[in-house]
Amino acid sequence: MRLIHLKLAARNVRRQPHRTIALGGAVAFSALVMALISGFVNGMDLAIQDNVTLYSGGHVLISGYTASWSGKLQNRFSDANVAKIVESTDGGIRTVSPIAQSRATVVFGTREIQLTLRGVDWTKDQLYHDSLILSKGDWKGLESSRTMLMSAQTANRFGLSVGDQVVVRLNTASGQQNVTDYKVAAIYDDGAAGGMNTGFVAFGDLTADLNMKSNEQQQIAVFLKNSADAEKAAQTITGELSSKGFTVSRGAAANAGASNGTPSQDSSTGSDSFVSSITAPASSGTGASGARQGMGRLSSGTAIYHVSTIQELAGEIGSALGSVRWIGYAVFLLMLIVSATGISNSYRMVLLERTKEIGMLRCIGYKKKDVFSSFIWEGILLAGGAALVGVVLALPIGFGIGLIPFNPHGDFGAALVQGHLRFAPILGQFLLILVFVTIVAIAAVFLPARKAAEVVPVEALRKTA
Amino acid sequence: MADIRNVKARFLNARLTSKLSIVLFGLVLVFSAKAQGGPPPGGDHGGGGGPMGGIGLPLGFLQQDKDYKFPDDITKYTANDFLMLVRRTDIRSSFYNSDMSATISMVSVSPDRGTFANKEQIFRRDKDDAFLMLMVEPESRKGQGMLRVDNNMWRYDPTSRKFTHTTLKDTYENSTVTNNDFRRWQRSIDYSVEKLSTGTLGNYKVIIGELKANNDEVPFPYLKMYIEADRKIVLKVEEYSLSMKLLRTAYYTQYVQIGDSFVPTVQIFQDGLIPEKRSQVTYTDISTKPLPDYYFTKEYLERVSQ
Repeated sequence: MRLIHLKLAARNVRRQPHRTIALGGAVAFSALVMALISGFVNGMDLAIQDNVTLYSGGHVLISGYTASWSGKLQNRFSDANVAKIVESTDGGIRTVSPIAQSRATVVFGTREIQLTLRGVDWTKDQLYHDSLILSKGDWKGLESSRTMLMSAQTANRFGLSVGDQVVVRLNTASGQQNVTDYKVAAIYDDGAAGGMNTGFVAFGDLTADLNMKSNEQQQIAVFLKNSADAEKAAQTITGELSSKGFTVSRGAAANAGASNGTPSQDSSTGSDSFVSSITAPASSGTGASGARQGMGRLSSGTAIYHVSTIQELAGEIGSALGSVRWIGYAVFLLMLIVSATGISNSYRMVLLERTKEIGMLRCIGYKKKDVFSSFIWEGILLAGGAALVGVVLALPIGFGIGLIPFNPHGDFGAALVQGHLRFAPILGQFLLILVFVTIVAIAAVFLPARKAAEVVPVEALRKTA
Repeated sequence: MADIRNVKARFLNARLTSKLSIVLFGLVLVFSAKAQGGPPPGGDHGGGGGPMGGIGLPLGFLQQDKDYKFPDDITKYTANDFLMLVRRTDIRSSFYNSDMSATISMVSVSPDRGTFANKEQIFRRDKDDAFLMLMVEPESRKGQGMLRVDNNMWRYDPTSRKFTHTTLKDTYENSTVTNNDFRRWQRSIDYSVEKLSTGTLGNYKVIIGELKANNDEVPFPYLKMYIEADRKIVLKVEEYSLSMKLLRTAYYTQYVQIGDSFVPTVQIFQDGLIPEKRSQVTYTDISTKPLPDYYFTKEYLERVSQ
């Protein structure tokens, strides 16, 4: 490349500012849209993972299912070695906590609501202490027995406040109905937790309600130092458990957490449907049911385990983001085509306008390839510069949109952080956008540039004289 | 000579093996047929009127009841007498010798959701513990259905054309009625008698039995049954949680006799935690005509829902 080409190209870009602004504006807008989509989809991805971690209680979940006297799988296990093996696994583990969970109907007066009730060992918990913002009550209050941490959404719906007593109806691990009482000890801001409305109680209280023995648990939640290591940790844990003779399966089927052995009233969703599928006599499926397949009827007491990660659990919501990403690509492609057509047409016009000038340049010693290069460089400067402007503009716009509050209980609540969209730009993706736009610009200018290079100097001067 | 003996021995062994193989093959055939046979075949009209059998029923469940002599004085009932009485009510409220079809009208009241009514068509084959339910009203939900067969249960939504797995324990249409309430009664199988007393319910003298579940997979661990001794019909059932809290009360206020069966045509289910929440289920147009086997298939439910 010679500097003269670049100088000439830059001068030509500046020569007709209106056209440059119009063309560059279109390109900049395409780049801006793509940068925004890419940043927000990345942000939603991260938000979903954070929220799913909250919903499920950890980055890696090990669910245990034990066959009952009738051969039905119940979500419970008692082998303490499982927790020991998980704790001893080298995979960047921060905490390992037991978790119990059930779909429950909470009744207050004549009103009722169905929600997930999770038993947490508050003495070992770091995740919820770090992530949940208490709007009423305090963590100390939750140390008393039969107390509940409730979401603000549920509390508002019932008109509940700290100190109120609620009745909880749930199914035990074996599927029997049970009714117990809890006192609301604290209320958390669900808007800051992705719209989650899970109720939290002490692990021991919930296992008692689920009619489980003191040495039994439903799930082990592993909270890692880095959530990106979840897959690796899950593989290691699966390998360790398998090598010690446990029956373990991997995958997303265990959905957000454990559940009681028999589906509750709205058992058609989430984890309940999974448990329902594995307790169903003639069902087939993945996960634990997959592990069960080929074993026939399990003898009483036989336990099988299922290991899943937040990335897998976030898969369903994440797949919706995949659609958003693809729509973004389609919009970007459409805009690129429109811009490329515009650039190509503009440079055809430029060629006609500058025929005499090209002839002059050729007469004073410019070679064909110099003319070609100056055209190409003009395209690169115009499109590349515009794309850069678009990408840079995306940053304040993206972070600005991030300040707008959205309904955390809406359809995309799980993809929000404290009720806001998270804009997470990645440098690599932005560079890719720049490269892509530049390549398209080169392709669009290529034909006019070649025609310009083919101009015969004498003919050009004669025609335009 | 030794060679001849060897040949003979081999020949005998071969013949013995061949005969044993035939016997074993026969046994395999017999057991395979038994294993795959399922319930006894139906009658001439498609399975409804076949001999008494019954999926999931203990051996002799139906036969033992026939000649049982109940005490004349209700104060003399023993735990076994009461269990046999419960069995009698189980059998008499069901149709083991025929199929059953009826129209069900359901009205549910809930403080949260208000009042809503729907109408269903039910087809039951109690000996196979199978039933098919089709929503008739409201118009917006017409065609939705539920099928129970071979211990599996599905809901069908004609809009999405999808079957979803459901269980007997699930509530029906967010009411106080569970799917189990549409099935044959079999309380005498799942429960044992803990305590007995007598009392009156309205104008009726009743035996009150407190029952405990035999296993931990029954949804209600404890029951309190109020049975009118004279007519041997259940008038009221209270269902309790594991913590002994009242979960639901079922009232069977009207019965209709059809052949040997006494069908509770009006059933009221009141929530124990929210007493204002209740549902009334009324059976009308009850028929015991045999139903074709294909009624109890997913294909039929799919077809008839269109």
